[in-house]
Amino acid sequence: MRTIAISGKGGTGKTTLAALIIRWLSENRSRSILAVDADSNVNLNDILGVKIRDTVGAIREEMKKSVDNLPAGMTKQQFLEYKIQTSLVETRNFDLIAMGRPEGPGCYCYANNLLRDILKTLGENYDYVVIDNEAGMEHLSRRTTQAIDYLLSVSDASPRGIQTAGRISKTLEELDTRVRRRFLILNRAPENLTETVMGAIQQEELHLLAVIPEDAALLKMDRDGMPVYNISANSPAYQAVNEFMNKLDL
Amino acid sequence: MSKLIASRAIRGAHKLVARAENELQQAIKEKGTQEKVEFPNTGYYLPISYGILGLQIDTLGGLTELLEEAKILLPQIPEDSLWLPYLGHTLDAGMATLFADEIIEAIKYTSNPLPYLTAPNPSESQLWLGAANDVIMRERGIEFVDGTAPGFAACVGYCPTNEIAVKIARELQEKNLYVFMSAETEGKSMAQQLREEGIQMGWETRLVPFGNDVTATIHALGFATRVALSFGGAQPGDFQRVLRYNKNRVFAFVLALGPVDDEKHAQAAGAINYGFPTIADTDIDQILPTGICTYEHVVSPVSHDKIVAKAIEVRGLKISITKVPIPVPFGPAFQGERVRKDDMYVELAGQPNPGFEFLAIKSLDEVEDGKIEVVGPEIDDLDEGVQIPLAIWVDVAGRQMQPDFEPILERQIHDFINCANGVFHMGQRDINWARISKEAKAKGFKFRHFGSIIHAKLHGEFGKIVDKVQVKIYTREKEILELIDLARKVYHERDARLADMTDESVDTFYSCTLCQSFAPNHVCVITPERSGLCGAYNWLDGKAAYQINPTGPNQPIKKGIPIDERKGQWEDINTFVYNSSHKTLERFNAYSMIEDPMTSCGCFECISCILPSTNGIMVVYRDYAGMTPSGMKFSTLAGTVGGGVQTPGFIGHSKHYIGSKKFISHEGGAMRIVWMNRNLKEELEPILREIGKQNGIEDLCDRIADDTLATTEEEVLEFITKKNHPALSMDPLF
Repeated sequence: MRTIAISGKGGTGKTTLAALIIRWLSENRSRSILAVDADSNVNLNDILGVKIRDTVGAIREEMKKSVDNLPAGMTKQQFLEYKIQTSLVETRNFDLIAMGRPEGPGCYCYANNLLRDILKTLGENYDYVVIDNEAGMEHLSRRTTQAIDYLLSVSDASPRGIQTAGRISKTLEELDTRVRRRFLILNRAPENLTETVMGAIQQEELHLLAVIPEDAALLKMDRDGMPVYNISANSPAYQAVNEFMNKLDL
Repeated sequence: MSKLIASRAIRGAHKLVARAENELQQAIKEKGTQEKVEFPNTGYYLPISYGILGLQIDTLGGLTELLEEAKILLPQIPEDSLWLPYLGHTLDAGMATLFADEIIEAIKYTSNPLPYLTAPNPSESQLWLGAANDVIMRERGIEFVDGTAPGFAACVGYCPTNEIAVKIARELQEKNLYVFMSAETEGKSMAQQLREEGIQMGWETRLVPFGNDVTATIHALGFATRVALSFGGAQPGDFQRVLRYNKNRVFAFVLALGPVDDEKHAQAAGAINYGFPTIADTDIDQILPTGICTYEHVVSPVSHDKIVAKAIEVRGLKISITKVPIPVPFGPAFQGERVRKDDMYVELAGQPNPGFEFLAIKSLDEVEDGKIEVVGPEIDDLDEGVQIPLAIWVDVAGRQMQPDFEPILERQIHDFINCANGVFHMGQRDINWARISKEAKAKGFKFRHFGSIIHAKLHGEFGKIVDKVQVKIYTREKEILELIDLARKVYHERDARLADMTDESVDTFYSCTLCQSFAPNHVCVITPERSGLCGAYNWLDGKAAYQINPTGPNQPIKKGIPIDERKGQWEDINTFVYNSSHKTLERFNAYSMIEDPMTSCGCFECISCILPSTNGIMVVYRDYAGMTPSGMKFSTLAGTVGGGVQTPGFIGHSKHYIGSKKFISHEGGAMRIVWMNRNLKEELEPILREIGKQNGIEDLCDRIADDTLATTEEEVLEFITKKNHPALSMDPLF
């Protein structure tokens, strides 16, 4: 089982990238894929073109709120597990689960403890787990996600964007989360990168994996609110994804 | 115990002892006292006399001592006029019988030609084998110890038809039991019946014909005695050990087939000494009280189609099933396995279709062990990708079964089914859901295998309490809808019982140290009446968490000796808490807030603290940002109770806990509440009203102040005095 996490500031195009990675895996490796939307701004499902019924966050809140009214005879662990399994969206090419809203006030030790185990077991059933993470990567720090094979940080082709990506990468080191390899991906970038950009990359000690060009077709789909997942295989963005995915050991 | 049956056994014993005396006298006259006496190729002298009495008999002369012992044990034949013979007398008669048997059989071995074939298997001309030699004893005796053969059936007499004889023999063989046959009745015996049917017999087949004389039954008991001496570490003469070993480890019983005369009654009495009960197919008197045997001593009449099952049940024989008989791999490694939609052959219940899972305890007669039925289509009748309903109904029976076990056993269905490779199961009760993968179906997995799994695992894991399991699997909506209401009714009843569970009714609490990353010295102790502080965990959750992860943050703590039950203090719990709080907390009282209250992490929903002049307490919910009559806001109060600190007069707890009977019960419970923040008071109004009613006060809520009515302690006192709050007349808080 391989885990790929994609993170980046909002607007860098990471969710789109996550969707294209899922598409590539389902066409080139296996359809046993678990897509995890770990961004509290739930929108991976839109880009993938599926509807979600429930999120892990909502389930967790429901449990806390109705602690006295849960289905009787069931422990909270069983309840959470049941709800999470039923919330999973299943398609031919992938299954999707959305983490949803972050924690509110109050105590989450217990709920997160349960979730960690449930999600870990769930992930082990798939050949690939692709996680769309927000910049803060709360789920990594709360340990609700497990060890990661590839962390792909997405940024635009600007020094400030790259610095942010670098900072996030360093935070991860401090958290002692187990990440096997870290890479930087520059999205919507021009063909020639400036020296300042290259310098920033070096300074942040990041490994540049790929440079993805601006893609008109993709832009149009986005503007029209269409699921980018269905983009043509000839599109420059998808071609770029194909190129770097082949480089990874998957 | 019936005088009749005891009298028959005692009379039978007398007859046999008299016969033994006669034959011995005769033999000594013919051959002299020095004539050698032994069972060929055995090193145990004569097993019964050696094992039970420690006598080393190897001559005819030696047998006279055994005869004397028999006579000493023989009780008087009961007179019609008087007393009821006690079981003790009957047992003695039984023992005397065994001695007499041994004498008679030993004498047989001095005749020429031998009436027995000294070989492991019968031949064309000679059916009867007599005593087992040491080679057989060593080879086969060990099977009783390692469980390969749980025991034996000593069959005396004959069956009404040959067919029945064969059926019973096969049934016994299937359970890996040895079949020791002896004694004719009316000139016929089971071994002869089997021979007539061409059934192969001998030690290899476990069908062993000892002899046609009633006294040949001794060879079965002799074998049992030798097993105790060889493998049970019993010394010759230590009869207690010999008998007890057999009672506990050798699962043997007597099947009395056909009319049972006095001599056979006597044999049965002898067997009872070893803890071996008798089950008869004719109507002889029963001995139902337990004592020497684990369960009943004599049970009759039992029909032939049930007699083997009944014997097994009466003997307390546990059928152990080590392998789950299904065509896919099975094990805990497959528990987390999920069957993706793409991979599934069939989906059962879940959201699209109704379903439920239910386990009921029935009486032993109502359950046929191993019976599995599928009502509705089997998996082969269905096309790929189909979704159907599913109900699983399990009936169990067992001698040691209790009603409280029902939900515990029922909960296991989920775990058991999940262990099958290619099978996914979620939920329980009436929210069950399952999937079978295409791969599993291709390997031959069928719906009936749900039953095979449940049967095997319930026996395997709960063998102590489960004796019989039968399973019905419903895959048709009609029957499921008919039964679902019945199941739900029972679920409700169980939940009601659970809600009434008290701290006193359990001997184990559960700890929770999940929060120790924030509060290293804090540990919660979760009891049935007191949930975890965060409000999330109850006692059942703690128990389940421990079962799932035995090395996790939830550990069982035995209550042990209570130091003060009113305050809620137990010695072993203090020790546990002392150790898991990194030696900061020496003791705590579960039911008090004044003396050594329980600590908290920092996530409690509410804080209670005393308002001394009111003789009561205030309770504030964490969302309330305003000032409280204690002079502190919630966030300040939190400093007194958070982080594992123990401050008398202050505790953090969940909202839910306020409704518990144990909420500061030492101080009088929720009746002490004189102030709450308004939102909390409104939310808990029904609970508080109920508590008030139970204590004879209809309007408790109206007597409790809140932040709209009073903000300082003086104002609270004024308010509650006006309203005559019960706290004012309760015992002083300290």
